[in-house]
Amino acid sequence: MANITMVSPSPTISQPSNVVLFFRYLRRNKGLALGVIILVALFLFTVIGLLVVNPKHAYPLSAGLKQPPSLKYPFGTDFFGRDLLAAMVVGMWQTAFIGLLAGGIGTLVGVVLGFTSAYFGGWIDAAVRTVCQILTPIPVLLIQVVVAGSLDKRDVTIFTMALIVAMLAWMGPTLVIRAQVMTMKERQFVAVAKLSGVSDMGIIFREILPNLLPFIAAAFVGQVFSAVFASFYLAVLGLGPLREPLLGNIIWAAQSQGAFFNGWWWWPLEPAFAMILILGALALVNMGLDELANPRVRRSE
Amino acid sequence: MSFKIVVKRLLFFVLVVWAASTIVFFIPRLSSRNAIRERFGELARTGGFSPGDIEKMIASMQQQFGLDKPIFEQYWQYLGNIMRLDFGYSLSKYPTTATEVIAQALPWTIGLLLVTTVLSFVMGTLLGAVAAWPKAPGWLRSLATPFILLTGVPPVIMGILLLFFIGFRLKWLPLGGAYSAGIVPTWSWSFFLDLMQHQILPALALILGSVGGWVLSMRGMGITIQGEDYVNFAEHKGLTGGRIFRDYYLRNALLPQVTGLALALGTVITSAVIVEGIFGLPGIGTALNLAIRANDFPVIYGIVIFITIAIAALMTILEFVYPLLDPRIREN
Amino acid sequence: MVKFKLATALAVLALAFTPVATFAQDAAPVAATEIVPTSALADVPRNETVILGWGVSGGSSIGTTNPWVLPGYTHQEGNNLLWEPLMYFGIYKNEFIPWLADSMDYTDDTFTALEIKLNKDAKWSDGSPVTSKDVVYTFEGQIKYETLPYHVQFAELVKSVTAKDDLTIEVTFNQPAPRFKFEVLTEKFDTGIPIVPAGYLSAQADPTKAPGRDEIPHSGPFDIVAWNNTQKIFNLREDWWAIKAGRMTAPAVKRVVVVNILNQPMDTVAQRIVNNEFDSSVDMRAQIIGNILQQNPEVQSWTGTESPYGYLDWWPNSLWMNDQLAPYSDPNVRKAISLAINRDQINEVLYEGAKIATIYPFPLYPNLQAFADSPEVKAEEAKYEPGKYDLDESAKLMEAAGWAKNGDGLWEKDGKTFDATIQAFENIHGDIAPILAEMLRQAGFDSNVNFGTDAYQNMVDGKAGLYMFGHGASLFDPFEALNLFDGKYSSGIGSSAGNNRFSRYSNPEYDKLIDAIAPLDSKDPKFIAGAAQALGIYWRDTIDVPVIQWLHRIPYNNHYWKNWPSSTNVGMGTNGAFWAHTGMLVITGLQPSGAK
Repeated sequence: MANITMVSPSPTISQPSNVVLFFRYLRRNKGLALGVIILVALFLFTVIGLLVVNPKHAYPLSAGLKQPPSLKYPFGTDFFGRDLLAAMVVGMWQTAFIGLLAGGIGTLVGVVLGFTSAYFGGWIDAAVRTVCQILTPIPVLLIQVVVAGSLDKRDVTIFTMALIVAMLAWMGPTLVIRAQVMTMKERQFVAVAKLSGVSDMGIIFREILPNLLPFIAAAFVGQVFSAVFASFYLAVLGLGPLREPLLGNIIWAAQSQGAFFNGWWWWPLEPAFAMILILGALALVNMGLDELANPRVRRSE
Repeated sequence: MSFKIVVKRLLFFVLVVWAASTIVFFIPRLSSRNAIRERFGELARTGGFSPGDIEKMIASMQQQFGLDKPIFEQYWQYLGNIMRLDFGYSLSKYPTTATEVIAQALPWTIGLLLVTTVLSFVMGTLLGAVAAWPKAPGWLRSLATPFILLTGVPPVIMGILLLFFIGFRLKWLPLGGAYSAGIVPTWSWSFFLDLMQHQILPALALILGSVGGWVLSMRGMGITIQGEDYVNFAEHKGLTGGRIFRDYYLRNALLPQVTGLALALGTVITSAVIVEGIFGLPGIGTALNLAIRANDFPVIYGIVIFITIAIAALMTILEFVYPLLDPRIREN
Repeated sequence: MVKFKLATALAVLALAFTPVATFAQDAAPVAATEIVPTSALADVPRNETVILGWGVSGGSSIGTTNPWVLPGYTHQEGNNLLWEPLMYFGIYKNEFIPWLADSMDYTDDTFTALEIKLNKDAKWSDGSPVTSKDVVYTFEGQIKYETLPYHVQFAELVKSVTAKDDLTIEVTFNQPAPRFKFEVLTEKFDTGIPIVPAGYLSAQADPTKAPGRDEIPHSGPFDIVAWNNTQKIFNLREDWWAIKAGRMTAPAVKRVVVVNILNQPMDTVAQRIVNNEFDSSVDMRAQIIGNILQQNPEVQSWTGTESPYGYLDWWPNSLWMNDQLAPYSDPNVRKAISLAINRDQINEVLYEGAKIATIYPFPLYPNLQAFADSPEVKAEEAKYEPGKYDLDESAKLMEAAGWAKNGDGLWEKDGKTFDATIQAFENIHGDIAPILAEMLRQAGFDSNVNFGTDAYQNMVDGKAGLYMFGHGASLFDPFEALNLFDGKYSSGIGSSAGNNRFSRYSNPEYDKLIDAIAPLDSKDPKFIAGAAQALGIYWRDTIDVPVIQWLHRIPYNNHYWKNWPSSTNVGMGTNGAFWAHTGMLVITGLQPSGAK
């Protein structure tokens, strides 16, 4: 699934078309390796799960009630009669979908705007920066809450959730990328390239972009992280698509039914750990990418 | 700092507050919902009013809140009120004003968030810098790893887990509230201890999950910088490791990190909304959460704009501090 | 940054501040602020203190004790310990409880005049007596101020209010007002009015805006000594008039602490009760209270340790439908929705098998249970099978109405699925609404839940078709509940529906039945026959789909305090909620258990 696309650009950076080298590198970079392994495992869990499990069982009244994990229900069932295994499979897929879509949109817009702004400067920079800076201090969650709250309930779907989350998520990456390009512009290698007559595009794609990849990757991971986060918060406030087994929705439902107190510990803990795995793996990958993409660091090891 | 720059900064500050106020004013009005009616609906739902009363009460409240006037007039008056930090009366706690609701909640949030944010920023930045510093001892560099792993745990989940394991199962710390029931706040040692006991879990929930974020970004920054020629030069000049770490490395890497700090405040507030709720702390987060549930729009406006002003003010200050941190920008 | 000319920038800055000048601030009411004890509070031992888990500023503003201040719903958060009515009503004993008034009687057969006699010992907290002047002031205020909750009743019905002497008041009415004494002047559940002090309020610039704080004289047994957004603390007033008057023995509770648990997870509240931190709290869902009782044997519910744990509220919930809005305007479609509801499954999933699901729009209090068991009602029930669950029959009705199932198994007509979004309230319908939505979905209705704050508004406007809500109507006979569906209350779409009139049902045949039974006594066989017939039409046309009886499941912790109300210990007959108007009677009736 889309999880993989995040990792796949890496080989092209380290050693184009040499997958063996990449795996050899993974052995040295344990953090990245662990992150990738977790992501692959989650990916396999979701894909195999979608093939094996009946997605209908992720919805209420489809399984036994409040069953602890057993052979029949490996992940147990919840108060509303969802099979939590099916709910986790579908919820994982939906959470990943929201995260990747919203994170992708936010990062893409941010990179394009950040580059344009910082590299060309002048009124473009002024305009982009002013708009970003004016919008940045505004607490995004509240705007999201207000927007989500004024939508018709039938229009709140996984897809609109992603759009609501992405809508105000591009200013952060824009400013970060812009700040980096600004510093980068002052560096010697860019000045040298400029003096030797390399075109704007050439400088952007050949000199600056490769150096910025750690930051773009970090921005993307950050965006996915905050997208999952934001959708979770909306869910907690009862503004998400309530029926869907989004990881956030499951935790919220468990909380509001007093799952811990009633002894149904598996109900909130499973999605909580799934969330931890997703975000933890992303963090590890992000870290690994920093090393992988910065040749000088590798040299020094 | 010239007069012109100061005016520019102030103008920027005003623009930020204006943009936030305008968005917050118009978005709810795009939908056909009526907050006052909803508020009374909430009361009528539980049986407090007999049929027929409600419409009259709503009309009277509409007048009270100026909602019967043309929208532009409302907007104009609203902007004027914001300049005075007057957000009007709370809808659900009338006649308390939104400003009073904020003032009552603010100390709790400042106490909790400022301390936790600063703590996690300092811990994270140092650990991140060390983690990226090849000459640091191995055990010191590995200190960062558990925190990076904890990044995967959003404060909300961390709060729920801490509450479950430490509060419910081990019964080491109180389950919720700002202090024990029936105690009246006084300037005494026993009250302070009681207060602290109630703050530990929420503070941990916010710190544990957020240190890793700072570690990560600082580490990324550090890795980029340590290959730089000026760092190599300093090494060859024979400066001590500690000096290079502090003067060349930490200082240069800190610049984007500080930008992040201002941006993070918005996110931290977001986490606070729910973490405060989990532990029943009467801060801004709780006030906001309750206001959202009651659709108490003067309080929502007030809190959003108040937070915006706080963050915008902080960013404006950072604009002034920036040149001090990065000499290259100062020259421009 | 954009290169503004300095002058332009300054002009914009100046412009930004002009609104400040153009609007002077309106005259503001006195601010309600936190109540902070001026000196350290005396220590009251835990076993003389009642600690309640509830809200302190959800329905009132901090510092507002004056019951006339909007939103007029401040009694629930402890202010019911400050204010008293002329009479209370004990619903489980079916009798009036004289309080500030010794008597309150209609003086003629046509219910157009009422005489109130006050208790001679009744006193305000400042020591001055409660007199007819206070009662007249209270009543005239209701007429004068539109924002007060009973303004409409007073303005429409009351002709005059006169003090005949210090303790006697006469009220005359424009038209027969047989329910005025019970509905307006008597406090029960959350309705009825408290008597306010004329002296203090008439001295205020605007008596509907003066917060009152801790200075307003009150007649109730407690004083407020501290109030912030964490808690509210009340101390017992030893010179409470009711002790001398013989209404009550001296209360054992010396202090009441209301702890704010709004916005706290239910888990935490439940655990704090188990830990004996709280003596009682907000009502709970069936599962949670079951576990509380299991984990701490000292905690009891209304029904002891047995399911269903709660007392019956007057608020049975239905899936209401806007009977004027297509596709809900078709009785067959409404019936199809009814046939999709599996009541056995509701009992099993939500209430561990307790029989909570219902087919009636009224609570089954004893007299109403007798009505439901009458052969007339049984016959109608057999005829229309209102509780039937049959997906095939539901599907047949839908097909007959021109709907067809699409690829997702959802009913579709003209390219649109069936919008069955249920408007509901998260804090009370968080468990049942998703279950109902799923049942409808399994029957092919594109169902979802809207827990937004606009849910109630959508009901009132009639924009949406499907609502989860209660019927707060009948307490004794079925008339008020059936009267809810009378055509004269059914306003068209676009106009607001009155409270509990969301069905907008209109049928002359039904209205004629209601008109016929209106003047009849509820014991009259003709009344029972007519009411049964009306109930039959309610079922035949599926005016709404009754779903569950409403229960309040309140945990009572007996560790420090006993004599909590229960089904076997009805006490004065109040409903057992400490937050209701009658909650003061619950608190003052508590007895120490002797612990610690």
